[in-house]
Amino acid sequence: MAQEPVEPPPPPPPPPPGDGAQQPQQPTFDGPPLSLEEELAAAKAEPEAGPSIETVNESLKDGLNRCPKCGSTDVRLRGSTGMLVCLFCRNEWQEARVEEEFGLGEGIDELQGTVIASGAEDIAADASQMVTFKCEACGAEVVVDTAHQLNARCHWCRHTLNVNQQIPNGAVPDAVLPFRLTKDEAVEKIREFASKRRLFAHKRFKKEFVPENVLGVYLPYLVVDARAESEYWGEGEVETRRWTEKQGDNNVTYYAADVYQVSRKVAFTVDDLTMEGSAQRADFSEGNTNNIVNTILPFDTKNAVKWNASYLVGFTSEKRDLNVTGLGPVLEDQLLSIGRSQVHGSLGRFDRGVRWEQEKVDVGGSRWISMYLPVWLYSYRQESNGLLHYIAVNARTGETMGSIPVSQPKLILAALTVGTVLEGAAGAILVATA
Amino acid sequence: MSIELITALVAQASDDSGPLWLLAAGPAGGAATYWAFYRYYRNTDKSHQYERDTIIDAQPVQGGEQQVGRIDRTRDSDIDGDNSGDYRRRVQRRT
Repeated sequence: MAQEPVEPPPPPPPPPPGDGAQQPQQPTFDGPPLSLEEELAAAKAEPEAGPSIETVNESLKDGLNRCPKCGSTDVRLRGSTGMLVCLFCRNEWQEARVEEEFGLGEGIDELQGTVIASGAEDIAADASQMVTFKCEACGAEVVVDTAHQLNARCHWCRHTLNVNQQIPNGAVPDAVLPFRLTKDEAVEKIREFASKRRLFAHKRFKKEFVPENVLGVYLPYLVVDARAESEYWGEGEVETRRWTEKQGDNNVTYYAADVYQVSRKVAFTVDDLTMEGSAQRADFSEGNTNNIVNTILPFDTKNAVKWNASYLVGFTSEKRDLNVTGLGPVLEDQLLSIGRSQVHGSLGRFDRGVRWEQEKVDVGGSRWISMYLPVWLYSYRQESNGLLHYIAVNARTGETMGSIPVSQPKLILAALTVGTVLEGAAGAILVATA
Repeated sequence: MSIELITALVAQASDDSGPLWLLAAGPAGGAATYWAFYRYYRNTDKSHQYERDTIIDAQPVQGGEQQVGRIDRTRDSDIDGDNSGDYRRRVQRRT
């Protein structure tokens, strides 16, 4: 993967002096020549950090988020409008969309190297997830556990305190996509999903099913724009003839085919490829149901707004714990799959199929933004095997997916019944045709 | 879905392909019923279809093909190991 950090552009040349008359070109003096040791040290040094996008919301600081109209700190998201509302004076406002604010929709085909927004930078190993504030209203000390939330009520004066500064523990992302679906709508979606799957559902699940326990969670994702070129090599076959031969009582079909070495190459850009920013959520191995939450992607990430912790009031959140470097192989993997899907349409003449044997991807450039995306999550732990089942609702599009614990005895009984009926029918046909 | 599978199995079993297929209809239909319902409830096979649901702007596909052989007689109706539609199955990486 060509993700070499790109040198920052050189500073612009100094303006010509005085009247702007052309001066003869002089070599720039950049200090005395380096010693051999210094040059060796420079050669061994870590590459400089790539270009970054600064996404800190300068208008906010940690602590009290005040309503711009009345100064109250009772601010939260109003789901029906997607705007922040002051619960004191009913004033509504919103943060700017990051798409325009940071130019995220532009220049994907010119991306070079790895561009990382400030909220997606590496997590410091020693960064604590606990943040302690001094309440500006009363002076009390308030602790916020950023692993689960980014707001806290001052227990003395009841003001809401917010974490808005990007701390290097992955808790504050570059952008947030506010909840749009209300809790009632999510409950209805979950109820509808489960009611279609009642017949073979586990008895205890049906008994303990309380969709009102659904939780609104902001989950951490990395949203990537990338420019890549992928290439594939393999073998394809084209059928040239088909005939049948009589062998005993049976007709056997035979085929003849031409075999080809096939190669394909495609250059493409992807806009807002979304991947999990939490190691736990990115684990799709057997023994968990994280694929359920993954399935409700994509979100309308173009509507994400600048960070403001007030969007999270009343919801929980999960902290990002994956770095961009760690997700590089995941990006390459997904780009290879996308490239494969792009070249698939060019394989029509190989009517006997194509077997790809080798592949390659060059990532010309990528841009990484960290984002909180809104999910209504209903979870249920199955006692018998300890498996945590999810029913997840995309809180923007309403897409719903879930895992319902099944009653194995019921399901096996149904399978046996169908099998027996079919076998009986087969036996009857055999007897009739004998 | 299971009914379609069973119908397909019955249809396949009742053509002229012989009595062995008919005897397999019971176990195959039972297994198909089990997996169809299991997947409908558990959705273990589902994931985000990023190949389809991401905004992708692709240049025209380039490439070539060269005949390297001929199969004169085979009972296989397709190529061995066809993975052209299985976009996520990784193959050997070239660097």
